[in-house]
Amino acid sequence: MQAGPVIATRGLSKDYGSGRGLVELDLEVGQGEVFGLLGPNGAGKSTMLRLLLDLIKPTAGSARVLGLDSISDSLEVRGRVGFLPGDLALYPKLTGGGVLEYFTQLRGGVDRRVRDALVERFDAVLDRPIRQLSAGNRQKLGLVQAFMHEPELLILDEPIAGLDPLVQRSFHSLLSEVRAQGRTVLLSSHTLSEVERVTDRLAILRNGRLVVVDSVENLRRVAVQRLEIEFAAPVDPAEFRALPGVVDAAAVDATVTVSFEGSADPVVKVAASHYVRAVRPQDGDLEDIFLRYYRTDTT
Amino acid sequence: MSRPVTQLTLRLRLPSTMSAAVGLIAVMAAVGALFPAVGHSIGKLHVPKSVGNLLGGGDYGTVTGWFRSEIAIIYAPLVIGALAITGASAATAGEEEDRILALVLAYPIRRSRLIIAKAAAIAAVVLIIALAVWIGLILGVALAGGGITIWHITALAVQLAFFGLAIGALAITLAAATGRRSLATGVAAGVAVLGWLINSFAPLVSVLSWLKYVSLFYYYTGHDPLTRGIDLPSLVVLGLVTFLLMAIAIRSIERRDLRA
Ligand SMILES: Nc1ncnc2c1ncn2[C@@H]1O[C@H](COP(=O)(O)OP(=O)(O)O)[C@@H](O)[C@H]1O
Ligand SMILES: [Mg+2]
Repeated sequence: MQAGPVIATRGLSKDYGSGRGLVELDLEVGQGEVFGLLGPNGAGKSTMLRLLLDLIKPTAGSARVLGLDSISDSLEVRGRVGFLPGDLALYPKLTGGGVLEYFTQLRGGVDRRVRDALVERFDAVLDRPIRQLSAGNRQKLGLVQAFMHEPELLILDEPIAGLDPLVQRSFHSLLSEVRAQGRTVLLSSHTLSEVERVTDRLAILRNGRLVVVDSVENLRRVAVQRLEIEFAAPVDPAEFRALPGVVDAAAVDATVTVSFEGSADPVVKVAASHYVRAVRPQDGDLEDIFLRYYRTDTT
Repeated sequence: MSRPVTQLTLRLRLPSTMSAAVGLIAVMAAVGALFPAVGHSIGKLHVPKSVGNLLGGGDYGTVTGWFRSEIAIIYAPLVIGALAITGASAATAGEEEDRILALVLAYPIRRSRLIIAKAAAIAAVVLIIALAVWIGLILGVALAGGGITIWHITALAVQLAFFGLAIGALAITLAAATGRRSLATGVAAGVAVLGWLINSFAPLVSVLSWLKYVSLFYYYTGHDPLTRGIDLPSLVVLGLVTFLLMAIAIRSIERRDLRA
């Protein structure tokens, strides 16, 4: 177990030629953290994760993983890391069980009891060919293979994509256990709501650049939330616009959509003075949620 | 080498390999059975020399000529080339394009070992086809009434196997260097067909006769294994080409980015 950070990148860059994948990323992830890499599609999340595993080579900068150089010590790094690629693909003709058996042999030293417990936990389908499985069922197999050797570091590219809510819950509880054991997780996502409950810290990427790194707690304080409130009768949105933290409020018929930073308390209290039929939280784009960071630089 | 990689690659190639092998044996038996009926009359046809060369000398009148023209020059190398090329491209660049290697290579396995393990599986495919040709020829020649010794049949199968290995290695190298399945398949197939054309036509044009030496096909059948047995120098050339191509494949895949 190394004393320093589990992941440390220095000026890590990837220029694909046609477009910048990642620009001079300096990032540290500490032991026992569940760290989220957040950014819209094309932000450079997969690029960063693939660089850590030497699947692609950086055009500048370097990365250390588990205290090892990501390129020259890649074999050892890959032996100690569990990886779930984004857009997971498996051998279409093999069954789920066949795929897991292959990866078990390729990995070596896997405790089959741990693997089988994961299969049960995620209710993974083993007896059908991969090509017949839904994306969610394939993703479960991807998660099993990533966790089955109980690695000290997990690198998961969009792990929640395609999982139904029940499986998401199993995944979240698994993450909590992993963190409690002092193991480290780096995962990516393009939606805040997917990761805000499971991560300790977040890095927000945009166009290959790091926008901000902070605790989820602090980021939520400045995140713009959006609530759709359906009233029994039309309500003037100006009532909400005047409130502290409110960024925007608009009404369509009897439904008001309010965007605000920080606490929902003032908005809810004003809404409560009317008859509220329904309240629906809206999943915004990251650009809308982190207006504060995105509006300053215009690229 | 990695045993699970070789095993899985071979397992995925086995259905097409086995049906090709069975098909080869059946066709060669049929070709042999046909000889007594048509061989003598076809032998009297006057085929233009260029066409004759394409068909392996145009000497249909003997069992050796019959099999040389039907099997040795066209059918067997076509099948072994097609399976080696498609198998090699699918197992390497195909898996890369399908994003499967993005996970496999996150496992603790060197890219060089992965490529060698996959090459071993393709070599097994090649050997199965060469064995099928050997069995098919024995069967076919027997049905034709005999005329080629088992030693000469073995010679053809051995030359063919080395030819298949070299063609497969070419496809692996192209796939390893580019990660593009259709490019690897297309270029390797183009090289094989061009080699066949060169081998057939170069002898006719004296200024181009040196060209035959650049054709892999020449080292397979240029010395006519069905009548003259194994040609060791040809096997050495094919073996060296295979070895060299694999060395290039290993170097080029270690250096580049995984595509998908
Ligand atoms: N192999 C590649 N060749 C060229 N450009 C690429 C390649 N892979 C990714 N990119 C580009 O790099 C940027 C970052 O991509 P990626 O890391 O996949 O983003 P994310 O995972 O955050 O969606 C995008 O603009 C993408 O188009
Ligand atoms: Mg991605």
